[in-house]
Amino acid sequence: MGDFNIFHHMPWSSAYSIYFFTIGISAALFFMSALSWYREEFRTLRSSAFYLSFVLLVVSGLLLIGDLSKPARFLNTVNPAYLNFSSPLAWGALNLLSFGAVSVAYFFMMRKGNEAMSRKLAVLGSLLALGLPIYTGFDLTVHQNRPVWNTPLMPILFVALSLVSGAAVASFLAGKQEKLLVMLRQIMLWSGGAVAAMLISLLGTTAYGGTGEELTFMFMTSGTLGAIFIGVGILLGTAAPILLLLAPFGRQQGGVMLAALLLLVGGMALRYSILIGGQIVQTYF
Amino acid sequence: MSETRLSSSETHGVPGKKRYAMVIDLRRCIGCDACMVACKAEFDVPLGVFRTWVPYKVVGTYPNVRKHFMPRLCNHCEDPPCVRACPVGATYVVEDGGFVLQHYDRCIGCKACMASCPYNARFMLPKSRTYTDITSVVDKCTFCHHRVTQGLSPACVQTCIGRARIFGDINDPASEVSRLVSTLPTQVLRPEEGTKPHVFYIGLDRNTSEFGREVYSRPEVLEEDRQAFNKNHQA
Repeated sequence: MGDFNIFHHMPWSSAYSIYFFTIGISAALFFMSALSWYREEFRTLRSSAFYLSFVLLVVSGLLLIGDLSKPARFLNTVNPAYLNFSSPLAWGALNLLSFGAVSVAYFFMMRKGNEAMSRKLAVLGSLLALGLPIYTGFDLTVHQNRPVWNTPLMPILFVALSLVSGAAVASFLAGKQEKLLVMLRQIMLWSGGAVAAMLISLLGTTAYGGTGEELTFMFMTSGTLGAIFIGVGILLGTAAPILLLLAPFGRQQGGVMLAALLLLVGGMALRYSILIGGQIVQTYF
Repeated sequence: MSETRLSSSETHGVPGKKRYAMVIDLRRCIGCDACMVACKAEFDVPLGVFRTWVPYKVVGTYPNVRKHFMPRLCNHCEDPPCVRACPVGATYVVEDGGFVLQHYDRCIGCKACMASCPYNARFMLPKSRTYTDITSVVDKCTFCHHRVTQGLSPACVQTCIGRARIFGDINDPASEVSRLVSTLPTQVLRPEEGTKPHVFYIGLDRNTSEFGREVYSRPEVLEEDRQAFNKNHQA
């Protein structure tokens, strides 16, 4: 029987998941560039990873501003008279801006060849980069009424997703650098494994939650999101690349790149399904 | 009964402060939707969005069936998650009265408040409106702040033909809302969210107020309804 006569829309559209994806990669690529000052294997990534990180940061910023219904008011998020520090979005806006400022300074110091300053900015930028996936996770976590989102795992899951996607993109920049590929393979394996472990935990707590959680679990596993979350996100985009990286072929350049491609596809699918999954059931209330 | 206070803006039970609340007696609601119409007229609420709405559910088994109406609106919570979620302080609590209101000129349209509201009470205004220039920002019920501060009752309360909606200061022991909440069993929506809502329902059945498992395998008619609604009500 048809019941309620008013339906509701999802507040956060899929554009946010693209933002989560690009900002996560941007943060991880900056980290890789910063790592090059301390680990010789990453030396070839110093400039290329940074430039791509900066481009993605700009793209992410534009995505975020474009999704606001009042884009011209984005500066309100840095107006000290308006800032509301109980909102993770306020912290996120400050984090994004400071990360952008440090990135610009890092660029000029690299160009000047000022190694001491570049090293300092690399560390500072890496800390701010770490804040980006953490705040995006908190953006979701703080909504206590949303199944899947409201879990302490979310910021850590976003950090792991950021690392795995960033390492995947970096493996395309690495070319035939064997030592670098070995390191990137390790990062993909460990962070991919962490993502898998957290997803199992997330699925368990969602399936055994209340009605909203249980229904969300059903939508995400066998309902409208089943194919994208389980099929693309977990099986094709997490389990398959981990197995591939563990196989002998996964130690070769072609294997690493194939796994990286799958991890990128999976990372996008997971972010999309987590974002949308947390909103489906609420539209019926 | 004492209650732990988490938010500095809580005024329920604070001497000398007003705390407005609404009681909705579901036994009296006939589903005429006059409250929705009055609200639409009062605020020029655009098509497709609602400050208050009256969903219904058909309950029981034939021949013992009835339509269960459940008027909904912003719950003007004591601990509102929308206020916490807004990055620019566009949503705020009026301490004297407990109204949760919106600074339209500050709202950036990030929709964090919409995501945080457990009651779906918030909506995005369309890009163009005929009589009002407040557009593309989030809006919601204000408990008719402009009327209440003039000594009037909210538009939905004034128009309710069955007196199903009762409004007043719950901190005033002589008010009707205070008497009803004190003497009758009342419920709020989703108390487990910790928001301390200030819309109290008489005769609310939790089995009918929450979504049931049927939303997973939706009946065809519900899905058709939804598609038609979405098609006709793009805000």
